[in-house]
Amino acid sequence: MQTLLRVLGCFALLLMMPHATAVQERRIVRISAERFSFTPSRIDLRVGEEVDLVVTSDDTSHGLRIEGTEVDLAIPKRGPGDVRARVSFDKAGHYEFACDRMCGAGHNFMRGVIIVRAPAASR
Amino acid sequence: MPPRTTLVLATAFQAALLLGTPATAGAQGSPLSGYMELHYNRVEPQDPILDFHRFVLVMSHGFTPRIRFVGELEVEHAVVEGLEEGGEVALEQAYLDFLLTRSFNLRAGMMLVPVGIINERHEPPVFNGVERPFVDTFIIPTTWFEAGVGAHGEIGNGLRYRVLATAPLDAAEFSAAEGIREGQQHGAEANVRNVAATGRLEYLGIAHLTIGGSFWTGDSSFSVRGVDSAVRVGEADARYHRGPLELRGEFAHVNISDADRLNVALQRQTGVSPNVASAMRGFYGEAAYRIWNAGAARDLVAFVRHENFDTQYRMPDGFVPLKLYDRHAWIVGATYFPEPDIAVKVDYVRLANESGIAKPSHGFNVGLGWWF
Repeated sequence: MQTLLRVLGCFALLLMMPHATAVQERRIVRISAERFSFTPSRIDLRVGEEVDLVVTSDDTSHGLRIEGTEVDLAIPKRGPGDVRARVSFDKAGHYEFACDRMCGAGHNFMRGVIIVRAPAASR
Repeated sequence: MPPRTTLVLATAFQAALLLGTPATAGAQGSPLSGYMELHYNRVEPQDPILDFHRFVLVMSHGFTPRIRFVGELEVEHAVVEGLEEGGEVALEQAYLDFLLTRSFNLRAGMMLVPVGIINERHEPPVFNGVERPFVDTFIIPTTWFEAGVGAHGEIGNGLRYRVLATAPLDAAEFSAAEGIREGQQHGAEANVRNVAATGRLEYLGIAHLTIGGSFWTGDSSFSVRGVDSAVRVGEADARYHRGPLELRGEFAHVNISDADRLNVALQRQTGVSPNVASAMRGFYGEAAYRIWNAGAARDLVAFVRHENFDTQYRMPDGFVPLKLYDRHAWIVGATYFPEPDIAVKVDYVRLANESGIAKPSHGFNVGLGWWF
């Protein structure tokens, strides 16, 4: 009987404990594209962190291509539309992204970086 | 080997590897894009004109994601005929970009000179008004392009830079009315006995705000014997864009040394003194508001701009300023966007001067411009 009570007690404690493996809220990073910059142009992530990129344009069509990944987005022109992508990175490092749809004379200046850090090093 | 040197070498090696990465298909648009502008100008008391002002094709090609070509070929005023004044064909851009790192990239070829707002942002849907601002025409030559080499990048905290070494201006082409505008050599067998330097720094670290400053400096009297005219251009600008509101302002100042001897030497050559100033100055402020912001085809911006520009701001000793060229203008108008890349523009321009003889002029302009 004592053993049964101990088991039930442990089970009750487990139920009362905060859900240690609760699903983390996925972060949404909103990026605005406008000739000839991304805002923000620097995004900080942790290794393994999954985020949703939501990208809009304030003028013409742009592209957003993240180097070293398969992410290559076509950003619709100014309006209610956006383009979304879920990204995560297995390795720490600097992942540059750039507009890859010609948008005007300053097109090649339109770049940014995702800085991925190991969890201990995250800010 | 010191750690910093190792890091620099490793970065350069990594950049070299990335330069060799083949291009991949993706969201890339057409390799051909461009913009066009059709204008109706009615400036009293002249007859109105209809002018296909600009037909510009932009070509781009990625050899790899980090080695890119951009070219821009422009036809102005529709028709170009030999030995007749009228239109012109210009190769405004034709460069290779070597995108090495975020903070350091190289560019070589025919490039836009990064001075002022409009030189690098001149597509019709990007600015208000049928014609480009006067300051970006008479004080800062727009479109200002020249052959050379340069570097650009973002050095962190929202700071971006560009530096160029190009051919200088030709002071023999300066004038009282148009300032330094006609002095561009345009990379056409350009004289590079002297080399001009251009720099621009932009700060984008505050949301919705872009602040920029540029300089241009070069010895420009290579074609005028016995004269030593150095030209210095300084410029500052800011743009604020939040929601429906956009504000922009620009200030530009030009100094020309040895302008007195330049005028005398040019008068000896041509018989007429060009009355080139030793300093020119211009500034403008513009406020625009998106008064109809209901999506595609329901998109209307109203704006007002005030400009002051004087190509005779300071004269060398012995020369009198022509007040006709101390000008100021009010421009009010609207831009309707049936689609974000198509701009239907209308504006009214009141242009006055300080001469006391020449009357102010009034103009009404309509424009249709598009980017694709």
